[in-house]
Amino acid sequence: MKFLEINDLTKSFGGVQAVNDVSFSVDKGEIVAVIGPNGAGKTTLFNLMTGIYQPTQGSVVFKDTDVTRLTAYQVAQLGIARTFQNLQIFNNMTVLENVMVGRHTKSKTGFLGAVFPLGPVQREEREIVEKSLDNLAMVGLADKALEAANSLPYGQQKMLEIARAVALEPELLLLDEPAAGLNSTETRELVEIIYGLRDRGVTILLVEHDMETVMEITDRLVVLDFGNKLAEGTPYEIQNNQEVIAAYLGEEGLGC
Amino acid sequence: MKDLTRRKRLRHSLIVLFTLFIFSLPFLITNNYYLSVLVIIGIHTTVVVGLCLLMGYAGQISLGHAAFYGLGAYASGILTSTYGISPWLAILAGAVGTGLITYTMGIPIFRLKEHYLALATLGLGLIIHVIFVEEVELTGGPSGLSKGIPYLSIGKLVLNTDFRYYFLVWAIALAAIILANNVVHSRIGRALRSIHGSEFAAKSLGVDTDKFKLQVFALSAIYASVAGSLYAHYITFISPSPFGLMTSIQFVVMAVVGGLSSIWGPILGVTAVTLLTEALKSIIPQLIPQAGGEYEIVIFGLILVITMIFLPEGLTSGLLKLYEGWRYRKERADEIP
Ligand SMILES: Nc1ncnc2c1ncn2[C@@H]1O[C@H](COP(=O)(O)OP(=O)(O)OP(=O)(O)O)[C@@H](O)[C@H]1O
Ligand SMILES: [Mg+2]
Repeated sequence: MKFLEINDLTKSFGGVQAVNDVSFSVDKGEIVAVIGPNGAGKTTLFNLMTGIYQPTQGSVVFKDTDVTRLTAYQVAQLGIARTFQNLQIFNNMTVLENVMVGRHTKSKTGFLGAVFPLGPVQREEREIVEKSLDNLAMVGLADKALEAANSLPYGQQKMLEIARAVALEPELLLLDEPAAGLNSTETRELVEIIYGLRDRGVTILLVEHDMETVMEITDRLVVLDFGNKLAEGTPYEIQNNQEVIAAYLGEEGLGC
Repeated sequence: MKDLTRRKRLRHSLIVLFTLFIFSLPFLITNNYYLSVLVIIGIHTTVVVGLCLLMGYAGQISLGHAAFYGLGAYASGILTSTYGISPWLAILAGAVGTGLITYTMGIPIFRLKEHYLALATLGLGLIIHVIFVEEVELTGGPSGLSKGIPYLSIGKLVLNTDFRYYFLVWAIALAAIILANNVVHSRIGRALRSIHGSEFAAKSLGVDTDKFKLQVFALSAIYASVAGSLYAHYITFISPSPFGLMTSIQFVVMAVVGGLSSIWGPILGVTAVTLLTEALKSIIPQLIPQAGGEYEIVIFGLILVITMIFLPEGLTSGLLKLYEGWRYRKERADEIP
């Protein structure tokens, strides 16, 4: 059994084949990157995996469960969390509350309990706060807990999204361009956070344009180009793959 | 952690203070007309608290709330006057029935978003209103229920004066506020607010957004239904006219004017809009003798536009900002001798 299997995944928007017949798999505990030029279909791939879009064809199998036709919230309940390329912070909440939403699937207070918060509900609430503060501490935002989420600078909002996704205690974490817009110090912090998560047993699939970082931290890469899988392999193999180099020619190059 | 507890304490002490204030008012105000206005404010506050849960926290809209208010009123009216059922049981039946109806009707309606959702809820409200008018045998049609609706009573105490009814209405309005406040600061409240913040992200964090929208829609309709029952037992006569689109719009205006995302918004909004319309009711006929009821819609429109321009987040946060600005200037003034 594979931890995650993507089989012949295809998605077309009208005439555009955003993802075309892509297959690959990920083992538990790996850090795998999906790279490719702008518009290659990376974000669409994430949206297909997390139930935001339904594929035209193909399947996504997570720990032997076919998640292809599940809706987004069901996918999340199975333990797949994600961040977004365009920030999706809850601007109407504090930093802490954002992370607390992340614990939604790990808690169970219903409407009745919410209206009449008796002992067990209050205990659960305290636990949510404590765990969420831990998640914030992991990304270095514990002291910002009670600030409005949209008052944070961009880099910290990105970290907040990671903390929020981690609050779900996912087994698989999808990060869509986590380093975009971060300065070099913040990128170093990000790398440490990713390593920390890997050490806790979280499998990580990320989309990233920052080649230096990608080549440093990943075990394997999948390269997309115009929706097609161009190559797959270790950072060393990818850097020496002629097709990949050709696809990136005219772009900034592979960085290393 | 400490800051959180302090915030919670502040919230709780505000509620206690306000409760004391509310329950001391009827001893200070002896004029019956003023007292009756305060009773209506309490009833409307209950509706608007529910509407704020839906609009302010979950970010959805309803232009059908007057009809749900009517469902409660007619359930109470019909069950007590025609069938002789105990008023308290009738209130409960109205609430449960309204909850079930709105939950089921919500399933197709909440596939829609924004303007389309607004129109669909408006349509639902109109249909219910048509039923009030057309089901003559049950509702008495346009002229209203023919048999009188009994007053509510607690044990031997009949709540047949404004003074007595005031305490019941405001006990329920305050309970509505406190319970809504509990919801807002819970796992469910965060789920609702996350839908408003980013539905996309909410789903990706495992929030069943469709289910929560339906639940909060039904809950807010139940609030309206209970308020409608209270209205029926206060006026003791009902006809379809107060449950039409005009009233739905009025509720939305009250919610927006007060501010959608504070538990104090509804009271402020309802009070401001009610006092203004009551004042205009006595002034307008003197200025324009031939003016009919239509001017009300113009006034609601004006209030809405003015609020959106000058206080887009409503009176509550508008007042808070004024206070903060004043404190800031005062601190600055204190620094410069
Ligand atoms: N909802 C949509 N409707 C129509 N076309 C879409 C939609 N989403 C993506 N596309 C198209 O699919 C293709 C792949 O887009 P996608 O966002 O997946 O690229 P990407 O690899 O994430 O690019 P980037 O590096 O710029 O983020 C693009 O041509 C895009 O225009
Ligand atoms: Mg993308």
